[in-house]
Amino acid sequence: MSELPPPTATLPPPLPGQGGPPAAPAALSGMIAVNAVSKFFGSVVAVSDVSFAVNDGVTALLGPNGAGKSTLFRMMCGLTPPSRGSVEVLGFDPRNDRDVRGRVSLVPQQDALLDHLSAASFLEFAARTHGVANPEQTAMQALATVDLAEVGPKPVGQFSKGMRQRVKVAAALVNDPEVLILDEPLTGLDPVQRRHMIALFHRLGDEGRCVLVSSHVLDEVAKLGSRVLVIAQGRLVASGDYRDLRELMDDRAHRIRIGTSDPRRLATVLVDRGLVSGLSLDAHNVLVDTLDVDSLGRQLAAISIEIGVRLTEVSPLDDDLESVFRYLVEGR
Amino acid sequence: MTDVRSTPTVKGRHVAAGAAVGLTYRIVLRQLTSRGRIIGLSLLALIAPLSGWALGSANASLDDAVRLVASVGLGLVLPIVSLVFGGAALGDLREDKTLVYLWLRPMDRWPIVVGAALAAATLTAPITIISIVAAAVLTGAGHGIVAGTLFATVIGLIAYVCVFTLFGVWLKRFIVWGLAYILIWEGFIAQAGAGVARVALRKYTRSILVDRTGVNLKLADFSLTTAVVVPLVVAVAALAIAAWRLSNQDID
Repeated sequence: MSELPPPTATLPPPLPGQGGPPAAPAALSGMIAVNAVSKFFGSVVAVSDVSFAVNDGVTALLGPNGAGKSTLFRMMCGLTPPSRGSVEVLGFDPRNDRDVRGRVSLVPQQDALLDHLSAASFLEFAARTHGVANPEQTAMQALATVDLAEVGPKPVGQFSKGMRQRVKVAAALVNDPEVLILDEPLTGLDPVQRRHMIALFHRLGDEGRCVLVSSHVLDEVAKLGSRVLVIAQGRLVASGDYRDLRELMDDRAHRIRIGTSDPRRLATVLVDRGLVSGLSLDAHNVLVDTLDVDSLGRQLAAISIEIGVRLTEVSPLDDDLESVFRYLVEGR
Repeated sequence: MTDVRSTPTVKGRHVAAGAAVGLTYRIVLRQLTSRGRIIGLSLLALIAPLSGWALGSANASLDDAVRLVASVGLGLVLPIVSLVFGGAALGDLREDKTLVYLWLRPMDRWPIVVGAALAAATLTAPITIISIVAAAVLTGAGHGIVAGTLFATVIGLIAYVCVFTLFGVWLKRFIVWGLAYILIWEGFIAQAGAGVARVALRKYTRSILVDRTGVNLKLADFSLTTAVVVPLVVAVAALAIAAWRLSNQDID
């Protein structure tokens, strides 16, 4: 297969709106302020020079697996210190300030719970360790919030993954947190519970809390809210309004594989009609880049009939999230 | 769904040290109490009374009885049972990633360590004290050895549990490191001379036994005061280091 032409897209600038890498080194402020933070694990750079600030409402942190989302969250909770830069939560250092931990909650990504405890006991324990005045009542209210009141006496070790996720969310609510950090909280939930949970996050955000939710699923982020931070390969590659991000992604060149009985002939016509911005061939396929995927889709069948070639396959190669991130990071 | 705003509000509150010790103690005690672990360690601990009974049946001397208690009871059963409970007290929570539910709370670190060590000691004490003291009784060597064994076991238990709680906080394979300490350092290297024996807890428990029975044991020549104070100081230092380590380590 011959080489594809260079990509037409360029690295997108940060989107307008809240946060974004700062133009000047002045420290950002907000309910969560991440200033020029990097995190290294030996020679591995997990997070590289990330800056942003978030305030009340729901903000989504979008990124593929291994992008550095969980490491960022761990730094925001003080579970690990930044190698460089600073993190402030509610104006305090979450690593060293004991009392701010009572105002922040984390839903960790890992599926770890105290399995020998019942759901009610686990939440009661969470409430007590936060110094809540009425732990039993608080635990029951938090269980009801995630629709688990009926299974409160059952050990969490017997719960499904979705139920365990909801227990973790409930545990994060017992201290009435001002900042709520949720690491992939929708994993394992069925569609109904996913909807309930997203509604809950919005309600918490509307109450003036800072709700930061991570996900690697683009469609989830669309439902989570309009404010998005995109992280890839440890760097903040975009931030701002989700709709702007979506438009930006829709504007990029799409790569499509077209299986055909006569690749050379089909390729010639596609170039003549200006439907593709670049292409390559092999014995059975044409690999095209197009900026107008709709036009190509509309005309492709008609063209194949017109020139008498058979189509065996039409497959988009870059609709997965990884390709979106690759585009944002590398412009290809 | 109900309104979470109706839950009691906590703004900048922290948990008092005493409450934090109690909460940690209860959760760790429950976490450590597995039937398999307790049965396994109880069977291991049976070695001591069975050995004592065998020795007692043969009308053994006080010297033989003290040597048996020192080697099997204080040298094997006590440190191994302490390692399993002490190491797992925070080591298990760290390894199964549930430590975050204690760490990410508005409470100091030292009560977490103290609560965990107390929970480990609660489970270690009945198994070790009953088996080792029973061994001393079954030798039939008199009251002196029984009182000395009880005293040495309690002091050793405190020190071992605290040191192994530190192992659990600090080391990933705390059982392997702990066994290496017990079997290689205390059991082999520390036998080589008085210098290295100073950094073996076994020497102090043996010294207590020697002081209370008058029997001469190799590398057990500390005064009673030293044999009691040093392990207690080591215990406090181990907990302090564990609390410092807990504050400064990465938590998953």
